Amino acid sequence: MTGFLQRPWIWAYLAAAAAFIATMYVSGGQGAGSLAYAALTFAAFAAIVGVGQMFVITLGPGNVDLSIPATMTLAGTLALKFMATDSSLILPGLGIALGVGLICGIVNFALILLLRIPPIIATLAASFLFQSVAIWSNRGLRIKPPAPLADFSTGGLPGLPNLALVAILIAIAAWVLLERGLAGRWILAIGQNARAAQLSGVPVNAVRFGVYVGSAVLAALTGFLLASFSGGANLNMGTEYMLMSIAVVVIGGSSIGGGSSNVPGIWGASLFMFLIVSMLNSYGLGAGVRLILTGCIIVTVVAFASKRSHSA
Amino acid sequence: MSRHTMLMGAVATFALCAAAPGFADTSGKRIALSNNYAGNSWRQAMLESWDKVAGAAVSDGVVAAADAFTTSENQATEQAAQIQNMILQGYDAIVINAASPTAVNGAVKEACDAGITVVSFDGIVTEPCAWRIAVDFKLMGREQVKFLAAKYPEGGNLLEIRGLAGVFVDDEISAGIHDEVSRSNFKIVGSVHGDWAQDVAQKAVAGILPSLPEITGVVTQGGDGYGTAQAIAATDRPMPTIVMGNRQDELAWWAEQKAANGYETTSLSIAPGVSTLAFWVAQQILDGKEVPHDLTVPFLTIEQDGLEAALETTPMGSVSNVEYNLDDALAVIDPAG
Repeated sequence: MTGFLQRPWIWAYLAAAAAFIATMYVSGGQGAGSLAYAALTFAAFAAIVGVGQMFVITLGPGNVDLSIPATMTLAGTLALKFMATDSSLILPGLGIALGVGLICGIVNFALILLLRIPPIIATLAASFLFQSVAIWSNRGLRIKPPAPLADFSTGGLPGLPNLALVAILIAIAAWVLLERGLAGRWILAIGQNARAAQLSGVPVNAVRFGVYVGSAVLAALTGFLLASFSGGANLNMGTEYMLMSIAVVVIGGSSIGGGSSNVPGIWGASLFMFLIVSMLNSYGLGAGVRLILTGCIIVTVVAFASKRSHSA
Repeated sequence: MSRHTMLMGAVATFALCAAAPGFADTSGKRIALSNNYAGNSWRQAMLESWDKVAGAAVSDGVVAAADAFTTSENQATEQAAQIQNMILQGYDAIVINAASPTAVNGAVKEACDAGITVVSFDGIVTEPCAWRIAVDFKLMGREQVKFLAAKYPEGGNLLEIRGLAGVFVDDEISAGIHDEVSRSNFKIVGSVHGDWAQDVAQKAVAGILPSLPEITGVVTQGGDGYGTAQAIAATDRPMPTIVMGNRQDELAWWAEQKAANGYETTSLSIAPGVSTLAFWVAQQILDGKEVPHDLTVPFLTIEQDGLEAALETTPMGSVSNVEYNLDDALAVIDPAG
């Protein structure tokens, strides 16, 4: 039991469960199923971008991808414009979204490596570029997704939305990569000490390249799914995922300084981030109080999670 | 009476203001649009309307220039610098959609002191020397509740979708809603922030729905009605009456429901073409017309009968729009004066 409690990610799940129970207390127990279903659906978006951001943050201090919202917007906009509600173009449309992610990742890393710009500045600067292309390409018009794609993204098995299924599969793949794969060891090694990793033969730049491209591709996939889910791409659709992607990494118990990460925490934190807002909305609190409480609760959870991981 | 109003009377079939060239009084004048933000479909439509109407006015010789400038970062400091550049460039009038009601007042005052006419709209400025074409946001909230009260005189439960927390517009619309609700049989049982975006509203509504009793109506702020409908449709609840905000996806959904089950609601918002109203007001002031400093933007309301017609003229994925002509501008100016 103590070993279990020492896992840094357990606190995110405990907090999510507490928020769930508190919401159910207001509703008198009704709607538990639909709240859980909604939480799984919306947490899926945060979980996918969170996994990408986690790998970037693992690379060590200063590494963070701030271009996630713009990449999401650009991928969603271009893919939905290309498909133009035609069902036969869904797979090429997905290809376009992932291709946009690939290009965005390459641009990010090119700025970081070739121009030696710090990642925070580089990804922020690139995001202006991506956002401008998105505005220019479609002038903010919302084009509907093809019907089968909309049905897929809003549908699901009983109790398990399709989106959650996709996000869980991605999380499992990320877990295998991080915990069992050689690449995962390399990423952790770079985050712990980049110089030592390089001297011991880790291909540092190749790994960093892969991580930034991976983050952008996952952001692009999220943008594609979110646009399909909500009936079209918005120019400002990714805005909340800038902080959300970082928050789920930290609340999930990964070290913000890099070098120590875990995947299960991403899902716990994503569920928590949705449920905390639902809980505070259900209690009818004003926006000011809600934001203050959200901040306090996040600080508390992070404090617990980091304390445990240090003592472990 | 200025010269062109006489001309207007002479041309009996005066339908398009752009069709009447030769307004000698302003043909040498240059007007600039200072816009603080372009990152959503409403602002994009606003800029397009400006290009269309002001561009036509330029080619017809009504004014010499009507250039649009947008700041990249939605910052008041950046917009103040932009206004100072416009002063140096010698524009005769500056039309502003401001990032802040007070933060660009200094630059606006400088423009006034340089003899430049300043007309603010939508995002207005409080500097007294400028003209204001303001939106009565409180009334926008009231109108929604009035519509629902007429439809459900016995009252019921309402869900309120708010905008972006901490923004003046959100507080005003919400105040209007709550004020009117207190005089009706309705009760607001839940309130979430949808940030005027369909995906954010969808998420927020999905989160609060399980804890709510049955809902009769949903009051919104525009840009959030479709997301709300999606979130409710994903549950087994009966669909409440959701007041829409003139977005094409909202109208398309409403038309679909209307065809399927006779769904009834209303839709109201400010047309992005309000930029063209501001253009004509600026042109009239340059022309020497006495214009009161505080004007109000008319709402663009879409009702059950006009739905199909409105949907047809709204571009896919955009927002319902009207462009104003000189007659419309005079109609807004005169009842106020």
